[in-house]
Amino acid sequence: MTKYDDNAVVLKHEAGTRLFHWGLILGFLPTAFTGIAIWLKPFSGDMMNVLMMVHIVGAWVLSLACVLFFIFRHKRVVAFWREIFTWTKDDVAWMKVSGGYPQKIFLGKIVPVPPMRKMNSGQKMMGIMVFIGTILVVVTGWILYAALPMVPKEIAFYADLIHLIVGLGLTICVVCGHIVLSIYNWKECVCMFGDGTMRVNDAKHHNELWVNEDIEPVETTN
Amino acid sequence: MATYNYIEKAIQVTRREFVALTGVAAAILWSGAYAITDVVEDRNKYIKLRTAGLYKDDEKSALRQSHKNKSLMDMYAKLANKPLSPVAEKLFHTQYVDRTKLG
Repeated sequence: MTKYDDNAVVLKHEAGTRLFHWGLILGFLPTAFTGIAIWLKPFSGDMMNVLMMVHIVGAWVLSLACVLFFIFRHKRVVAFWREIFTWTKDDVAWMKVSGGYPQKIFLGKIVPVPPMRKMNSGQKMMGIMVFIGTILVVVTGWILYAALPMVPKEIAFYADLIHLIVGLGLTICVVCGHIVLSIYNWKECVCMFGDGTMRVNDAKHHNELWVNEDIEPVETTN
Repeated sequence: MATYNYIEKAIQVTRREFVALTGVAAAILWSGAYAITDVVEDRNKYIKLRTAGLYKDDEKSALRQSHKNKSLMDMYAKLANKPLSPVAEKLFHTQYVDRTKLG
């Protein structure tokens, strides 16, 4: 096992991934919150129109981010797909202790956690939901936005229902799970929002297998 | 500019993975496109039949414009004075109601 210097830094998230993540933030969060308002209708007609416009602009950003990432970073999509659907005994063990987070947060106890690759089992679970959920939300959203006069009532009804249920599910997972845990794991949060780098020894704490097997030294410093 | 001395190894996509993913994506896109086209065509079929029926009714009618319809003009003369008169407005016109909060 390689010992890493304390100053060793790894590029964990390349520019394309970080840009896509920003696209998801700027696309998903406005659509999620305006979507809830459009569903509950708490405001006047004019305000609802403004919210609908924000919802549509956000949906464009989200759709474009997804399409561009699929086209220009298709290898990264394959790697993500491979990672989220590869489950081992370590993942089962990780899930049994919930990654040690509840024990650490609520009881102040450190419990042994199996080593993970680039994504831990919770992130894999979230990844599956986001991958399938985002496709469903985008496709049904486009049906409701662009094809509503053409599609039969049944399709419009189910598109609306799927859009609402999957959208709400994703919003709850992102707001209550992903955002909370990313703030808790502050270094990872800064890495994704910043220049994509982190100290190798910090990365090793959460992604030991990834550090041991999937990274290599670069010849020159960029 | 970011400074780092380690990087993730290049992602290798095997031929098998490429063919499998392209195949699945193509199957989803084509079956979805086929289903939507089929559905839209089916729906347009009824719209076209309805349009043809309306044109047929129109061709059969001796009077095709409302202002040449004698019974209608008679009604206006006796009851509503003329189109857009206050009585006609009251009887035949509707007003906008904001129903956004009724759903």
